[in-house]
Amino acid sequence: MPLKLKYFLDELIEVMKEDHQPQLQEIIEEARGITCLQTLDNERAVIQIDRRRIKISGKAPKKQINVRITLSRNCLFEILEGRITLEQAFYSKELEVLGDPVTLLRCYRIWERIMSLARTSARITFLTYRLR
Amino acid sequence: MGLYLIEDTAHISSFALPSIFADRLPLYKEWHDFVFYDRRKHLFSFLNFGVYGNPYDSKRGYGLALLFFIDQRGRTYAEMKTIALRDLQVSPYNPDFISEDAKVLYSKSSNLFKIKGQIGKLACDLKLPVILPPVSSKEIFLDVVKMHQTINLGMTRAAMEMSKLWDNWAELPRIPVSGEVTLNGTTIPIDTRTGYHDHEGGRFDWGITWGWDTGVVLCDPSSRKEPEKIEFRFYRWGPSDKLSHGGIVIGLRNGKQKYFDSGNIHIERTGRFSNEWSVVPGITRLLYPDYHPDVPEKIVFSASDDQDKLGITFTPKGLCSIVAASVCGEPERVFNEMFCSATISGHVGDTVYDKTIPSWFESVRPRGSVKHYAVEA
Repeated sequence: MPLKLKYFLDELIEVMKEDHQPQLQEIIEEARGITCLQTLDNERAVIQIDRRRIKISGKAPKKQINVRITLSRNCLFEILEGRITLEQAFYSKELEVLGDPVTLLRCYRIWERIMSLARTSARITFLTYRLR
Repeated sequence: MGLYLIEDTAHISSFALPSIFADRLPLYKEWHDFVFYDRRKHLFSFLNFGVYGNPYDSKRGYGLALLFFIDQRGRTYAEMKTIALRDLQVSPYNPDFISEDAKVLYSKSSNLFKIKGQIGKLACDLKLPVILPPVSSKEIFLDVVKMHQTINLGMTRAAMEMSKLWDNWAELPRIPVSGEVTLNGTTIPIDTRTGYHDHEGGRFDWGITWGWDTGVVLCDPSSRKEPEKIEFRFYRWGPSDKLSHGGIVIGLRNGKQKYFDSGNIHIERTGRFSNEWSVVPGITRLLYPDYHPDVPEKIVFSASDDQDKLGITFTPKGLCSIVAASVCGEPERVFNEMFCSATISGHVGDTVYDKTIPSWFESVRPRGSVKHYAVEA
């Protein structure tokens, strides 16, 4: 049975605290103030980055949410395995991202960091594959 | 059964797992490479099965299996799978690599490797009997010194680079391959005498190497028009091609070997590779959507000395770029695994060569600056 989104995000932060503390701190500094509503298939999670930490919760006030990302598990792994590009996922509407451009660029930098870490961290890779 | 057991060479007969007390354990890496080309089916294959990271830390160490094929139409197929250590069996007692998705088994009684794997839509089921004795890096170095009769500064630098990287390195210079390969549901029977295997490992970060060029021309042992073997190896200790040293070894039909040292070889790279290529891991495509490997259209080795003259023109036909990330935040290293046609012309002694032969060419280089990008560890 695939891992639940919220559980995955909690575990990811735990792995980063344990193995990649400096990178986690940099992510928090760069992403301060972002509140992202993440939808994966039918599951939802809110990722809130405040001054000191990243908090994962089930909901947040609508006004606080400044980024919304919606995709399916299938689309996520198609992108991660290089079968389709982000651009193709956007055009096929399998991936929807809403938010103001500056905030989205900040988000993109965070995803880049985590994806790059996943290439040297077996723990992050295996955790991600438990989502499938 | 062949006359030579792989256990005759210590480093090829097992995974040389370092001691649990060894230093630099998180940097440990070791793998089997199997390369072959079936001339009837026009199918090239590069298979890699490795262990990375601390092998005693089930959270941070991992296994990796890569299947890469190029079919007769030049289409590339690549799949890579990361394997948790709890699902992988490797040991310092035999060369087996056993996981659910990919198995490399060495049978001592029949003296052959069996490879069975399925990753995504690619699969293989192959037998590779050992017919020639394994050769280690030490033996190659001694052979080169014997043929060259002197040791020059370049040889010393290249040997230093190799020893900096590898705790062990060994090859089976020729290995027949039979069985079948499945590409997206199409099964292709394989039966070829032109295979190659190497096995190497070390404890280093990718960031410390400037790369190398190595490869083999996959000569047919039954063809009198082809040499017994052609292998080349060039190691770099700096960013420029001038800061490298190596050579080409040509095995002749009379059992003798001819060695051309870097000093007698001119290498020219022209054009830009534009055929089909694959990149792994797939995430690379997401991180660098515009990335194109820095591979030329042609690589020409022109070697000559007082007695002999040989030109080898490598034309890459297909490519798999493997991007290896450094854990120290250094730029990544790219393994460009190329299937080439090698046109050989010239003469060594009385033998004149003029033939195009399939070959495998591995070129490793830093990917380039990662300034302003992602992780600064």
